Amino acid sequence: MSTSRISRRGFLAGSAALGVTGVLSGCVGGGSSDDDGGTADTSSTEAPSDASGPVVLQSSLSDPDPKAALESVLNGYTEGDVTLNTVAIENYRAQLPTYLSSSEPPDVLTWYAGSVARDYASKGLLLDLSELWEGDGACAGFSDALRSLSSADDGTQIFVPTNYYWWGIFYRKSAFDEWGVEPAETWDDFLALCEDLQQQGVTPLSMGTGSTPWVASGWFDYLNMRVNGPEFHRALLAGEHSFDSAEVRAVLDEYAKIVPFIDPNGRSYSWQDAVTPLVQKEAAMYLIGAFITQTVPEEDVDDIDFFRVPIIDASLPVGEEAPTDGYFAAANSTRPEGAKALLSYLAQPDSQQQFIEESGSSNLPTSPDVDTSGFSPLVQKGIQHLEETDEITQFFNRDSSDELQTTADTALTRFLDNPDDVEQILADWQSAAERVFEG
Amino acid sequence: MSSTATVSGQATTGPPHRRRPAAAVRRVPRIVWLFLLIPLAVELAWVFWPAINSFSLSFTRWSGVGAAENVGLDNYRNLLDDPIFRTAAKNTVIWTIGFGGLSVLIGLALAVALNRPRRGVGIYRSAIYLPMVFSLVVTGLFWRVLYQPDGAVNSTLEAIGLDGVSRQWLADPDTALYAVLVAAVWRQVGYIMVLYLAGLKGVDPSLEEAAAVDGATAWQRFRHVVFPQLRGVNTVVFAVTVIDSLRTFDIVWAMTRGGPYDSSQLLSTYMFQQGFTLVNLGYGSAIAVVIFLLAIGFIITYLVRATRED
Amino acid sequence: MAASTTVAPTTTPPQGPSSRPRRRGWAFHAVMVPFTLLWIAPMAFVLTIAFRSFDDIARRGLGALPTSFSLDGFTTALQDGAIGRALANSALVTLVGVVVTLFLASLAAFALSRYRIPFRRTILLGMLAGNLLPPQILLIPVAKITESLGIYDSLFALIVVQVGFGLGFYTFVLYGFMRGIPNEVLEAARVDGAGPTRIYARIIMPLCRPALAALAALATTWIFNDLIWAVTVLRTEDKFPITAALLNLQGGFVSNWNVVASGAVLAALPTAIVFFAFQKHFVSGLLVGANK
Repeated sequence: MSTSRISRRGFLAGSAALGVTGVLSGCVGGGSSDDDGGTADTSSTEAPSDASGPVVLQSSLSDPDPKAALESVLNGYTEGDVTLNTVAIENYRAQLPTYLSSSEPPDVLTWYAGSVARDYASKGLLLDLSELWEGDGACAGFSDALRSLSSADDGTQIFVPTNYYWWGIFYRKSAFDEWGVEPAETWDDFLALCEDLQQQGVTPLSMGTGSTPWVASGWFDYLNMRVNGPEFHRALLAGEHSFDSAEVRAVLDEYAKIVPFIDPNGRSYSWQDAVTPLVQKEAAMYLIGAFITQTVPEEDVDDIDFFRVPIIDASLPVGEEAPTDGYFAAANSTRPEGAKALLSYLAQPDSQQQFIEESGSSNLPTSPDVDTSGFSPLVQKGIQHLEETDEITQFFNRDSSDELQTTADTALTRFLDNPDDVEQILADWQSAAERVFEG
Repeated sequence: MSSTATVSGQATTGPPHRRRPAAAVRRVPRIVWLFLLIPLAVELAWVFWPAINSFSLSFTRWSGVGAAENVGLDNYRNLLDDPIFRTAAKNTVIWTIGFGGLSVLIGLALAVALNRPRRGVGIYRSAIYLPMVFSLVVTGLFWRVLYQPDGAVNSTLEAIGLDGVSRQWLADPDTALYAVLVAAVWRQVGYIMVLYLAGLKGVDPSLEEAAAVDGATAWQRFRHVVFPQLRGVNTVVFAVTVIDSLRTFDIVWAMTRGGPYDSSQLLSTYMFQQGFTLVNLGYGSAIAVVIFLLAIGFIITYLVRATRED
Repeated sequence: MAASTTVAPTTTPPQGPSSRPRRRGWAFHAVMVPFTLLWIAPMAFVLTIAFRSFDDIARRGLGALPTSFSLDGFTTALQDGAIGRALANSALVTLVGVVVTLFLASLAAFALSRYRIPFRRTILLGMLAGNLLPPQILLIPVAKITESLGIYDSLFALIVVQVGFGLGFYTFVLYGFMRGIPNEVLEAARVDGAGPTRIYARIIMPLCRPALAALAALATTWIFNDLIWAVTVLRTEDKFPITAALLNLQGGFVSNWNVVASGAVLAALPTAIVFFAFQKHFVSGLLVGANK
């Protein structure tokens, strides 16, 4: 904590507060009339920015292992000082737009590639990172898919992807052996499997939708892709279809079939809490991202396996979720050069590999230069899983916006409680979504 | 204890400032103006100026970047059509009545029960007051643990054979708001109790004695002799309760964040969500104005009473 | 609490129909003992969780009786959760906030109560009304104002906001108290040639000590326990006061209930200590308020 900084600014603000006029002149909301430079407007009263100060990295990686991993990666950064600032993910999610729109934002922030980043870019909140994607920039060698994923609507790059992962239905091999069951290939087989497990007194599905309601969107995304196809799914999230449509109703009809198999306690759990029943063999399966392994006790990780969400309509292309994580930088950053230097470091193959190994997740590196041959069989299977698929999506919020995600959270958690109330839920969802798209 | 004496003295003998006028200073020295103006300027800058800004923002659409766009009364019109706002408004009313009513009833009952000295009274009082020292966030965390599916609440219910009652208190939209309410009341009761205990000290015991001699029942004595003497405390309790309940934010935020699906949303949490999570600053400000209007009704009542009593 | 109870008995006469004090006493305790136990049960429960090991909780559930004793929760909360630093932040904000607010409030109350300021009644009620505003209405503008002053995300901003927001109430209470001071005392000083500053510092402030102590105790719990202002003007982990740090801890150690419980216990300790050390002031402080 730099006390000197506080006191210097403190003096400045204190005198302004006492003089009142200092505050009055900087009218909140730009007085709603004058020039459109809301940000420029404030810079006159702003304390001289410490362009030389440490680069601030605002991180949502609050689980102990990934947090420690990022700290250790940053310890190897030699080109400047970095202040790592970790805020618990659900608080971070709630405040990210405020961080970005602040006049003195953190420089680099962890978040997600895809529409969600594009959405912030379209509001002018993200720094143009195109130079990292050109020439010998750190991201220049990344795949075209990643490049388009990291691009804003105007074609500039605004994101630095550093790892990605797959989603699947995770289970314990030894548990499946005990229960004498096999992973399912088709939807009917899957429902039969759930039925069988329930007969045996095992909870078929675990899902933590308490403090992490977004988990419920996982099944929605998959069922929508399996019933209506990935193209419809993307268009729906872009606001081109109605949530009130027959197609979406068909998705929830399928969703309703698995609701009785989901652990009812999951409504009080976070996604992490919901891993425990799986590990304890009280619940059989969990549709979640590969990050699940970071919450599985070390001795049980080798027992974890996954299978693809079963196919419902074989005529549709197969879509899989492969969310991409990484960093973007704030447009208002006072240290854009420092931010880019740090991003370049984080995108390096060594940094990526170190982070993935130490965080204990089963994420995959985005850099083609990381040697993945030494990764665990589970990860190898994950790589193959994504290579075999026809289309890639990110996740509900990443394919739309954080704001649309809140409408999905409300609709889907409500649906899980009252699967019969579909009509009303979808009507409300659509009107909430319309408000988001209009806003 | 010294101030206690002052207070009860004032309560019975009336305001002591009657002898002032003649001696009062005619001219106000410059330094005294400074004494007043500095604090006043701070409050103007940090309370009144932001409040005015909030009003003007509520007529705009603004995402915090660029200039705000004037939209007139649109935000207020949208509020009327917003089902979550209606839930939040309804919940706020339920909260104010439930939180205020329960904590005042229990707090007053405990104060009366524990007013008379007996063995153990000090321990009871301290135990009941103790939750008050925890912040609402801590209280929220405590109760989140208790309400877990395998937490103490359900374990206790099952242990005494009430399995049917046990449920997921915070995940059930029918119970989430009330589950949070119980936690908030648990913390508040001790505070209200202490306020009333303080008030009961100022109650003249001879009056109650006389009533008892006349054959009045305990309830009659309380209703007609003791309670009227608690008027001053009642005003404070009323003000504290209304303000606390309209301000409630921490405990809901720590326990449910307004969920599941907005069933425990209060105006204050919904305002925070709109203003800071979704950065609809105009819309959030409009909700804040509604909270303000609710509060102002109560505040006016309070100020009118406070002035009249003077 | 216990201290003040022992004082009261002498003045309170025995209750009217106390023909069977024994049995009534028995009934009283029969009601109060279970009630009190129920009241402290949540705290006892959280305390036991704080001292259980993670494995024990994970294996046997939260509701089970403890079979383990471990300080892991506390060490994790202090080290990884940085609860210690958060407590220091809270202490700093609370200390400075309380002192500055009370100082400014006492100045304003002095001016309003002892001098013929025009419209002093309106000013006083206006200041109080400001304090009664719901803080929600101030959040967005305050966040933006601190940003434009360049103090956003500093403890200083938090202190300033707390000072501004608390002023009205304290001024109101101190005004009531100062008005009760007999004028003769001041006249004597004035005859001796003492100016306003001297009167304020030498006469008024010492006389107001009980009221100031009471308000300080009250203000301490308010500022220390605040969350909403902290999350509004701060975003850096290092600067979080205890309330915001606890939420962060809970988000970072999801399902590590022993860590979360330990953090909550640690956060409650300082206020519990302040409360028990100053409980007499608390009670009289509430009475200062009750008078108004």
